[in-house]
Amino acid sequence: MTKKAIIIDDERLARNELRKLLGDHSEIEIIAEAANAEEGKQKIEELQPDLIFLDIQMPGKTGFDLLTELERAPHVIFTTAYDEYALKAFEVNALDYLLKPVEPKRLADALLKMDNIDEKENSSGGDQSIPQRGILTDHDQVFVKDGERCWFVKLADIRLFESVGNYAKVYFSNNKPLILKSLNALEERLDEKVFFRANRKHIVNLRMIEKVEPYFNGGLLLEIKGGEKVEVSRRQAVKFKEMMSL
Amino acid sequence: MFLLINTFFAVTFEKFNVALAGRLVVFVGMGLLFSHLMRAVIIRLGILSRSLNEQILGFLAVTIFFALVIGGLDSMITKWLRIDKDREISGSLELLSNTFIAFVYLFLWNMIYFIYHYIEKSRKQQFDTLKLQALVKELELKTIKSHINPHFIFNALNSIRALIDENPARARDAITELSNILRSSMQAENIETVPLLRELGIVRDYLALEHIRFEDRLKVEYDIDEDTLNQPVPYMMLQTLVENAIKHGISKNVNGGIIRIISDFRNDHHELIVRNTGKLNGGVNKEGFGIQSTDNRLSLLFGANAKFEINDTPENMVEARVKIPIHTY
Repeated sequence: MTKKAIIIDDERLARNELRKLLGDHSEIEIIAEAANAEEGKQKIEELQPDLIFLDIQMPGKTGFDLLTELERAPHVIFTTAYDEYALKAFEVNALDYLLKPVEPKRLADALLKMDNIDEKENSSGGDQSIPQRGILTDHDQVFVKDGERCWFVKLADIRLFESVGNYAKVYFSNNKPLILKSLNALEERLDEKVFFRANRKHIVNLRMIEKVEPYFNGGLLLEIKGGEKVEVSRRQAVKFKEMMSL
Repeated sequence: MFLLINTFFAVTFEKFNVALAGRLVVFVGMGLLFSHLMRAVIIRLGILSRSLNEQILGFLAVTIFFALVIGGLDSMITKWLRIDKDREISGSLELLSNTFIAFVYLFLWNMIYFIYHYIEKSRKQQFDTLKLQALVKELELKTIKSHINPHFIFNALNSIRALIDENPARARDAITELSNILRSSMQAENIETVPLLRELGIVRDYLALEHIRFEDRLKVEYDIDEDTLNQPVPYMMLQTLVENAIKHGISKNVNGGIIRIISDFRNDHHELIVRNTGKLNGGVNKEGFGIQSTDNRLSLLFGANAKFEINDTPENMVEARVKIPIHTY
């Protein structure tokens, strides 16, 4: 199965070089190139690639900025010449990156690793047919950056979204970074079978609920796996009971 | 030294006679013994490294304590030796006078000891401060001179790799240019100034490489007065300014921009100017390491009249300006 890829790098020669190196990997089809983050974002949204090769230091916005603006992050392999901060971020979170000039062996390893991840996902029963626009599935990942640290987070791993002004706080494992997205915008994109709007300020992952208790005024109190407690408003409690009784 | 002082005081204050000679020997012997003991105590208690108030207190306490001990011992020994039986003084008065004399001697002696150490310490401190300042200065110069951005080196290597197929002749040139820059940056530690001509050579190589990377996003203009080509300039300073101009002016801008390098005489100064498209947007830290150490380096090399400034110009450019006074030997 061929994978569609986009190369995003501000240097024409660097893009050429990568294209040449990818010539040895027939399973990768380069469907587009972009010279900056803005152009890259447009092409990703338009062409829905499986994979992007992304430079970090680019004019205007950085590669990280680009990722945080995407609804759904495709598989990303970062390419960078030398960037202390970025390298630190990669090492902490084991994101995949290639150092320029790229070693052919490293490129092959990175592609192999990606194949393994995909296989695991497919065999674990994920229905990965055609990625529809709009609703995000469990296996979709979002890119989250908080100061120097950054993560790709599978939606399935997120326990809770909490609204904080214009931002949303994302709870997963031991982290809760902020992303610049409103809860309403998130709700539209999330699968309502999995993510439930408990009240004005919270969206919870139904699979992460540990305990349900009755609460004042016919509301409910949910205890989530990480220990957070979320109140369900009376109106939403009716909906919640309906969903759960099915 | 103690012996000398004691003898001196003995001679000055008391009439020198045979009866006194024995006493003096005892006194000097004890003085030697106790001054060493006292030194041990002072060092043991670490009095010298405390605050001034504590030093004075400690100094007085030690002096009084030892004066009592010496006074007491002195009385006992003289009594035991019966050196001056002819003197008819009561024991307690003898003890008091001996203690007082010992106190005076010890006070003077300790005063000298403490003052000596005090002066020694402050001199050492001054010396250390100077040494530290020199070290800091040297480090600052080293960092600013030998700093070629690794990001640049690896990007250049990556571009050259792509050029090998696309334009082999250009790739060969690029390798020479990169070698020149790396060599210059390695030599930077040992060289203070070079003629502008040589510095410009490095800058041209550097810009040629950046041009491979940025292609038509980077435009370079030179405006060099030929008479300034032999002027001494700080080694790798223009290069650093150009590197910064690229970093802040060109690489952040999607459409790229212009770099203009100007060298000219103005009044009694040689001026080197690097302009780049862009704005400071108030984000420049005037006390920042780069600006401060560039300024420091200039005044170290050319005196207080040499200056470095960075400003916005009316034509929407950022201008870094180096002013070097012209030497008229």
